[in-house]
Amino acid sequence: MSTLRSRQNYSALVLPIVLLLAWQVLAWRASTPLFPGPWQVAVSIWRLYPQIVGQIGYTLMRAAAGFVVAAMVMIPLGILLGRLKSIGSVLEPILDMLATLPPPAVVPIVMLFAGTGDAAKIAVIAYAAGIPLIMNTYEASKTLHPMTTLVARSLRLGRLETMVFIDLPASLPMIATGVRLAVASALLVSVTAEMLLATNGIGVFLQRQQENFQIANGLAAIAFISIVGLIVNDLVQRLERRLLFWHYRLDLHNER
Amino acid sequence: MDVVLEARQLAKAYGVGRDALQVLGGISFSVARGEFVSIVGPSGCGKTTLLFALAGLQKASTGTVTFNGRPVTAPPRGVAVVFQDYSRSLFPWKSNRDNVAFGMVRVEDLSSSQKRDKAQEMLEAVGLQGFEDKYPWQLSGGMQQRVAIARGLASQSELLLLDEPLAAVDAQTRADMQDLLLDLAMRFQQTCILVTHDVEEAVYMADRVVVLTRRPTVVDHEITIDLGKRRDQITTREDRRFLAARHDVMMSIRSSRTAAPVTAA
Amino acid sequence: MGSFRFLEILAGFRAIISFLIIVVIWQSVASLGLVPEKYFPSILAIAAGFRDMMMSGELVSAELRTISRALVGVAAASLLGIGLAVLGDLFPSFRRGFAPIAALVQPIPPAALVPMAVFMLGLGPKLYAFIVILVTVWPPYFNGAAALASVSDVQIRTGQMLGLSRWQILRQIKLPAAMPEIFAGIRYASSISLIAVVVAEMLAGHDGLGFLLIRKAFAIRIPEVYALMFVCAANGLIMNAVVNGLRWKFAGWQLRMTGQTA
Repeated sequence: MSTLRSRQNYSALVLPIVLLLAWQVLAWRASTPLFPGPWQVAVSIWRLYPQIVGQIGYTLMRAAAGFVVAAMVMIPLGILLGRLKSIGSVLEPILDMLATLPPPAVVPIVMLFAGTGDAAKIAVIAYAAGIPLIMNTYEASKTLHPMTTLVARSLRLGRLETMVFIDLPASLPMIATGVRLAVASALLVSVTAEMLLATNGIGVFLQRQQENFQIANGLAAIAFISIVGLIVNDLVQRLERRLLFWHYRLDLHNER
Repeated sequence: MDVVLEARQLAKAYGVGRDALQVLGGISFSVARGEFVSIVGPSGCGKTTLLFALAGLQKASTGTVTFNGRPVTAPPRGVAVVFQDYSRSLFPWKSNRDNVAFGMVRVEDLSSSQKRDKAQEMLEAVGLQGFEDKYPWQLSGGMQQRVAIARGLASQSELLLLDEPLAAVDAQTRADMQDLLLDLAMRFQQTCILVTHDVEEAVYMADRVVVLTRRPTVVDHEITIDLGKRRDQITTREDRRFLAARHDVMMSIRSSRTAAPVTAA
Repeated sequence: MGSFRFLEILAGFRAIISFLIIVVIWQSVASLGLVPEKYFPSILAIAAGFRDMMMSGELVSAELRTISRALVGVAAASLLGIGLAVLGDLFPSFRRGFAPIAALVQPIPPAALVPMAVFMLGLGPKLYAFIVILVTVWPPYFNGAAALASVSDVQIRTGQMLGLSRWQILRQIKLPAAMPEIFAGIRYASSISLIAVVVAEMLAGHDGLGFLLIRKAFAIRIPEVYALMFVCAANGLIMNAVVNGLRWKFAGWQLRMTGQTA
């Protein structure tokens, strides 16, 4: 059985390796620094490692800041709106409209208000991360099982207590989906905001590299962004599994 | 008679005007301290609505409920509810002990470690020692319901309201749980109101059975069960008096199902 | 009973009411001068800006470019994504091999690729097609792969019992069954595609709504910027409507089954 597994794992490498080789061959054929092959990109990563890591640090910090701001505002707001059905249903179409407004479209107006510094970027990131957070939190709060309210009231909990100690944990599974989207969004918009509102960060780095025709360096930066994105996603998923163990196990229990 | 709970002309209607649905027609009865009262009626007669109104979880349209002489407008201190759907009534992110301890969230005069100890005690009382650190979803249906009962007892209740607690539990477990409930009621001096659709259960458990009509629901009549406090699953259920009471209740329900609608009493 | 009907009708107009509330609040904030007029133009000013851009034709041409790029991009990406999902279903080794590639390419921000893509592909439709497809192929692919893999065994065995070939089972049973989930992916992809197109336009700086946004911003024509943001949001609604319409056509059975409306 285990040989089958390892054979499967090895066969998974076939396609990527074939593509990498094809790419390298094409690069040799083109034979210009403007079309680098995987080897050159690897060399770039090796050479520019410290610089890239430094720059991506800025990107990550801003992404984290934007996410935290969004979470602290949108999660409580979402729970509140889900509870206050009347206000929630009035604001719902507004939320739906904001959801269709692409975050990059917000950048120009933020730039006019707040310049191009960290605050501006964090504002845009917070907006981008805030949308999936509030949509999911609101949906979760809205669709809470009515039993939840009954049990809370039978234990004589006040409204605020119910929202904090019961609605919030009960909504966490759906909020977690929103968090996954929000984190990915924060990272992505952080890079994008840097490219539009240059100061520092990996977005600026790769923009400059590509403008100077250092394609291999630009690709190196892109590869890094991709890998960091993967790692962050993985971490978020692991965290989610640990915090929501009670939710996942729930499904297993029913299957029994 | 020390009356714990009294309902007077309790009525509940949904909707307004011509489309209104009159669920409860005007229900009156009272429960004395230490009594175990069962409420039965035909399906759809609003038993759960009645229980929620008694618990202060729903407002009646007209009529009053008093608990220890004071009107009930919100769930009062000293009343605990055990819901039918145990999987939704316990919180999956809390351990069993924390769930039971959460029943004391409104209790001011105990420290949190005292509450933990009390929760432990209650779990042992319902026969779940060893399961304190496990989670509700790791337990079977009957065990989860026991946790819910433990939570109710932990909250320093005087009156336990049970909404068809054993409906979703398998038959064998049900018998054990019935005896457990009777034992706990006696041990912890609880007054109990049990809503159930199972006539035999209603008669087996109760000192008095309140029989309801169908919608608009009123009290059809009440039967006192004089089988003593000690019941046995086999001998009690064969007792002549048990069978007579059972017959009485079932005839009521059957005629209620086929009779013309009853107007408010 | 009378009040019930009124509330129902009111709920139907909820969207319009919310919109009106925004307009009223916006206008009051602008008129009261709580925020400098410069940053918070009145609704009239925004409407005037909108009208000016319409009259000069720049809005229409930009809008057409942007929305056509987004629609074509999503269509191509969806077909490609479904095709790859089908390929993965037919050849498990492909699916396993493709997974690391997908995992690595998916997190790449579209903006990061734009400078390079401009350089390699110029400023024409190829640029936008490249960016949009690279970014929006993933939701239809992942959804499609997952849906195809989880088609109920019973349905597949029914097909086998009826003597259908593997290809026929795929086409007539698995794909239709997977359509609802694929369309959920396409809907998500359509929102991403708009973002990708606008970002590409902002960075490539040639034409389209993204470019117009940047230009108006640098010209500090704030009412126009707000008007353009509004147009972008409206585009999102248009894309949603298009995808929903297609979904009704291809996967309407599931909506009817679960009692939903389009």
